[in-house]
Amino acid sequence: MDPMEVFKIEVTGQEEFGAKKYRELIMDILQDLGLIRSIGKLYVYVDIMKPVFAVYGLLRSGIPPLTVKDVGDVLKVQGGYQVKINDEEHMSDMLRVLWNHYGRERVEQPARDIVIIASDASPADLMVADLEAEFLQDLTDALVRIAPEGFRNRRNVMTKDSFFFIAAEESLTPEMISEIKEKIGEMENA
Amino acid sequence: MLEPVMFTGGLYKHDLVVELVEDLGGYVLQKNVTQTEIILLILIPSEDTAALEALSKELRGELVRAPLAGTEVAVVTPTLAIHHLPHTACDIAEYLRRHGSKTNMLGLARGVGREIAQINEYETALINEHDAAVFIFGNFQECIKKKECLYRNISVPVVVTGGPDMSKGDLPYAFEYVPSIGRVAHRARKSTEIGTLDKIVEVVGRALDKTRNAIAKDPLTTSPPRVMDAVREQVPEVEFSYSPLPIALNLTGCRVKLPYEGYKDKVAAVTFDEGVKLGEIATIRPSRMKDYILVRILPNSETGFVF
Repeated sequence: MDPMEVFKIEVTGQEEFGAKKYRELIMDILQDLGLIRSIGKLYVYVDIMKPVFAVYGLLRSGIPPLTVKDVGDVLKVQGGYQVKINDEEHMSDMLRVLWNHYGRERVEQPARDIVIIASDASPADLMVADLEAEFLQDLTDALVRIAPEGFRNRRNVMTKDSFFFIAAEESLTPEMISEIKEKIGEMENA
Repeated sequence: MLEPVMFTGGLYKHDLVVELVEDLGGYVLQKNVTQTEIILLILIPSEDTAALEALSKELRGELVRAPLAGTEVAVVTPTLAIHHLPHTACDIAEYLRRHGSKTNMLGLARGVGREIAQINEYETALINEHDAAVFIFGNFQECIKKKECLYRNISVPVVVTGGPDMSKGDLPYAFEYVPSIGRVAHRARKSTEIGTLDKIVEVVGRALDKTRNAIAKDPLTTSPPRVMDAVREQVPEVEFSYSPLPIALNLTGCRVKLPYEGYKDKVAAVTFDEGVKLGEIATIRPSRMKDYILVRILPNSETGFVF
């Protein structure tokens, strides 16, 4: 079963096999990159005679930025705050943010998973990483991987809740883009 | 008639196998040592296979027929990008290797797309140095038909693979078309996928048989394994080549992996027991692959004798 609410793929001509295979391929690549849960609806339109490849997707609700309290437990201790790290993946990002914010001399790391900050200001709400930006980067990478390789003229429009990706062999013209948008609109309303 | 077989077994006492093969007048084509295991690709006179089977049983080794041994196959993808590699291309190459062929993977510089796909003269010539080529294409019929231009000028048999079911008549320049192995993003592990790989090996085997039959009509002056043996003996430097396989065999000759300028005369001067020099019965040319030496044995019709 598809984890997405809607996943439609339309390929012109006698290419039912291609459509079926591209469906599997898109699922494989999105799963590999861990993106599948963040995409709600996906529409893929391929016209192999032009040739052009387009993907329009609606994203699930935005991902909040990662803060220090998401990376570890923040405790008030004598002379400052202690952070006990739970998620080592973002450790280096967090240290960089703490150094920038408090200065290196006030951030101490007595053990691998413990950071002590000599300050009265709590670090709990400092932003460690913008996960949404990372997600959009991964998504662009996935789209480039999904599109057939020869389709090197690409356009990628990303908004907060959707993305529209189009790739073709020939130069992209405004008429072509609006025509494809129309086709995807038809798929959406069907 | 020499029978191609593959011996897999322990390193311990494997030299007994090598000795037996040499005593029986066979050839060891390739020796691969992986820690305590060894894989030997062997050509052995077919009437003596029982002796080798008995020995490998005694050594607790395994002896299987390797129909593609002594041949070189090119596995060609439109490029070396993530879209085509690693899954399909590596699976096919590895599967061909397991059946004894020497497989080279080749990514074209501009093989991508439907309208813009191209192949250049150098790539064509390099593929022509092999005995057969497997072209790996994608999932769309129209693209596979259009991409015929990539292999139209290739003189060795070309096996085309792709996703959709198409008839051979759609691809007149291909030797055969093998469906259901188009672009995929996972390794081949289901039995249907492995079945497709078996089909590719079978088709490549048939393509090579066709070449063998053509050669049999006008036989080569001597056999490529014999040339390999003589070169190995009389040009000892070849053993110091860094390639895992210093002499790669083809159906019509071999590729000696030494610099052309430095060693062409030495290779041409290799003498057989009959007193014939290699330069007299073969053309010695620079290979398109790196700076290697390409030896192509002349047929009976050109030299007038066979030994």
